[in-house]
Amino acid sequence: MIVSFYVNDRLVQLETPPERRLLDLLREDLHLTGVKEGCGEGECGACTVLLNGEPIHACLTLAIQLEGCHITTIEGLSAPGELDILQNAFAEELAIQCGFCTTGMILSAKALLLKQPDPDETMIREALSGNICRCSGYVQIVKAVKRAARELREAAV
Amino acid sequence: MKTVGVTRPIHDAAGKASGNTKYAADVMLPNMAHVCLVHSAIPHGYVRAVHAETALAVPGVLGVFHCFNTTQRKYNRYRSRFSQELPLEERAFADYVRFVGDRVAAVAAVSREAAERAARLVEVEYEELPYAVGFDDALEGKNCLQGQSPTIKEFAAEFGTPPEGGCVDVESFTQFPPIHHATMEPHACVADYDPYQDQLVIYSPNQSVHGIRVVLADYLQMPYHKVRVVKATMGGSFGAKQEWFTEPVAALIAKQLCRPVKLVYSRAEAMTCAVVRGAVRASVHGKYAPNGTLRSLDVDLVLDAGAYVGNACDYIASIYGKLFRCYRMEHVRYRARVISSNTPVSGAYRGWSAPEAALFTERNLDAAAAKLGMDRIDLRLKNTLMPEDIDRKSSLPVEDIRIHEALLRGRELFFWDRLCEEDAVFNASNNRYRRGIGVACGGHGNTYYPRHGDFGEGRAFLNEDGTVQLVLTVHDHGCGTVTAMKMIAAEVLDMPDGDIYLGEGDTAVTPVDFGCFASRTTFVLGRTIHDSALALRDTILDRASELFDLPRQDLYVENAAVRSKSEPGVCISYREVAQTTMLKRRRNITAAAQFANVTNPGVTGAHFTHVEVDTWTGFTRVLDYLAVHDIGQPINPGMCIAQIQGAAQMGCGAALREELVVGKDGRCTASLSKYHLFLAPDLPNIRVELLTEGRSQEGPFGAKSIGEVSFVPSAPAVCSAVNDALGSELGVLPFTPDRILTYLAKEKEESL
Repeated sequence: MIVSFYVNDRLVQLETPPERRLLDLLREDLHLTGVKEGCGEGECGACTVLLNGEPIHACLTLAIQLEGCHITTIEGLSAPGELDILQNAFAEELAIQCGFCTTGMILSAKALLLKQPDPDETMIREALSGNICRCSGYVQIVKAVKRAARELREAAV
Repeated sequence: MKTVGVTRPIHDAAGKASGNTKYAADVMLPNMAHVCLVHSAIPHGYVRAVHAETALAVPGVLGVFHCFNTTQRKYNRYRSRFSQELPLEERAFADYVRFVGDRVAAVAAVSREAAERAARLVEVEYEELPYAVGFDDALEGKNCLQGQSPTIKEFAAEFGTPPEGGCVDVESFTQFPPIHHATMEPHACVADYDPYQDQLVIYSPNQSVHGIRVVLADYLQMPYHKVRVVKATMGGSFGAKQEWFTEPVAALIAKQLCRPVKLVYSRAEAMTCAVVRGAVRASVHGKYAPNGTLRSLDVDLVLDAGAYVGNACDYIASIYGKLFRCYRMEHVRYRARVISSNTPVSGAYRGWSAPEAALFTERNLDAAAAKLGMDRIDLRLKNTLMPEDIDRKSSLPVEDIRIHEALLRGRELFFWDRLCEEDAVFNASNNRYRRGIGVACGGHGNTYYPRHGDFGEGRAFLNEDGTVQLVLTVHDHGCGTVTAMKMIAAEVLDMPDGDIYLGEGDTAVTPVDFGCFASRTTFVLGRTIHDSALALRDTILDRASELFDLPRQDLYVENAAVRSKSEPGVCISYREVAQTTMLKRRRNITAAAQFANVTNPGVTGAHFTHVEVDTWTGFTRVLDYLAVHDIGQPINPGMCIAQIQGAAQMGCGAALREELVVGKDGRCTASLSKYHLFLAPDLPNIRVELLTEGRSQEGPFGAKSIGEVSFVPSAPAVCSAVNDALGSELGVLPFTPDRILTYLAKEKEESL
């Protein structure tokens, strides 16, 4: 089948079997390797991307589901060489160690902040409950999301 | 100090935040083949035939590799240095399979999908053999490996003399299951082979490029210089990426196909076919003086190595050594056995034997405190190693160890005494929830020394613009090794660490090294780069003295420039020294240093936990967590804290949730949906206190290790809190809701 959808606001058209995973379309066909495969079964969250602003597992989303959809990957958050407020907060707050969970974690946080600009700690931890980080105790990650929320609110004023 | 001790993000944080950083699985090379493995479907038996015709007919398939068409040579996955004498155990593809998940065949194809599809079509005929799963089968004498006894190795050691009378006897039993490292990045490897130069290149996340080189070169019968191993960005290791199973397979196929190949494990493969922390059970008999002094520890331990022995024989010996890293031991009798079973292969796991030692020792200490009616911290305070004590096993000084102080500091910061009282009130006031507090200590090392000789080599180059390049064989696990090394050099050279470059391990570029494990990275390699930077600084001062005609003894460095004590106006930038040296002396400014340590100071930590057990569901919530670590000079304190918090998360998992269950059919848990890790909502705000006064003599600026020791006390501290909450003596981990409910039901039955 031919599927047409938007990736980071750019229209893409791909010839693909309908059951091909979004994860493979992104990584292999579009070379967007910021999205990671950690489990392939929707448990670890490393492949989280946004579909119409909602966090989804790219490993459980198939080509046939994508027609007309807007997908945001980590590469869509900032221009090359730059970081957006959320990415920068993760880097500066030491919320990144091995980094394999990071891109998915950032996109889950992004989805939260799109809906809730001023989340409390419980809301942040809940929003990240589908993203496993094995290196940290989530303390810096929560801190990074709080900081980004604050900076985004300040930037909006 | 300007740089050391000042927190900063790791060197590749921005790349990781942007998704730009490439991991091994992200690498695409022209003409690259994708490899998919076929695993044994049976726990034990012989491969009698492999039918590959249907798989070979899949479009895009380049080859099917198995025991009948590849080398019969074997290698040892645990080997990481030339001098280790270990039995060669493993073929790339087994003809004799030892567990469900053993490698039987591999398909290489032009696409990942074709390789996966074809792998499912490979038919394997087996001759099945009886098999053994776990301790009970093996200890009953069920033979899990043909021609071998279930007991692979016995080890016994004794230190000191048994106490004579006057002691309180305390028995305890501890058992923990195989667990999964759960690195978020599953294992991955890219291999490339150039037949015209007979040059093999391996690109993988690993903890020892030279370890892989030793194994691959010997296995493939190639000279060492023809095997280049490059460390890729590591998506977590915790010991999972320090034994070799992807690299030999990828190398063999790349060599056979004369093209690059990529092998990426699935999560199921990472859980069952890679490496697990082996199951251990220990019966312990402690003898205590009435005042709580530990007089004797008698340990009878069994380790299940799984299907390949790997590191297990060294591991049981190492557990004995770790008993001496935290407490004053008067007498230890230690007997240990390695058994083998047809289950996933045991191997390295963060802490390498110290977490096991802590689990059974701390359980016995808790049991002793209960029996003697003592507070658990008070009892530990009677027994900790003190500054200037000697590690009685290695005979090395523990130097300025601060475990006693860690306990006292933690007691205060955790409000231990107040929590004791509050929990008693809470527990008396409701029928459902039980709260408890826990404490545990742990110690570790900083180097192989004295078990093996240890050393490092580093080099430093001054560029013509005054920036610096370092060469050192490091393997950043993600916790900031590269940044820490640059910070050490920056401190010595008094320049911004942003003006320093350091790559990672690459056998074509960096000197032979024994790998980033044994918690040696900061202590040994950090000191090595410290000394290399120092040598570079001296060379810079020598050249400046000669070229600018200044008295050498007056010169010093400040802000990336040479200054003179006698002439305050002198300020010659590193750039100017470098350029003048090149132009006038026709020389580069370079330096090298080797460092061989002769110490291994005590490095310890004490963890404190507060839990709430729901006696209706058996579910345990961690309410509060404090880790106090005796770390010496932290190089990058924020990253040390982040690592410790990660260790606390792992310990909560090991204590309460994590278990790879091997069924009667030999099949092991193979999905994260059935292997429960601690997630963001499950954890409290883990607190960390660093004790920095207990400096090491040899570490860079007095630094000690942190990566492994931080995991050592974590699971025991959580277990201690659950037992405190329930008044129980549970010792079989993890304390899952099922185990807790079973205990509560039994307790209820007995009280009726």
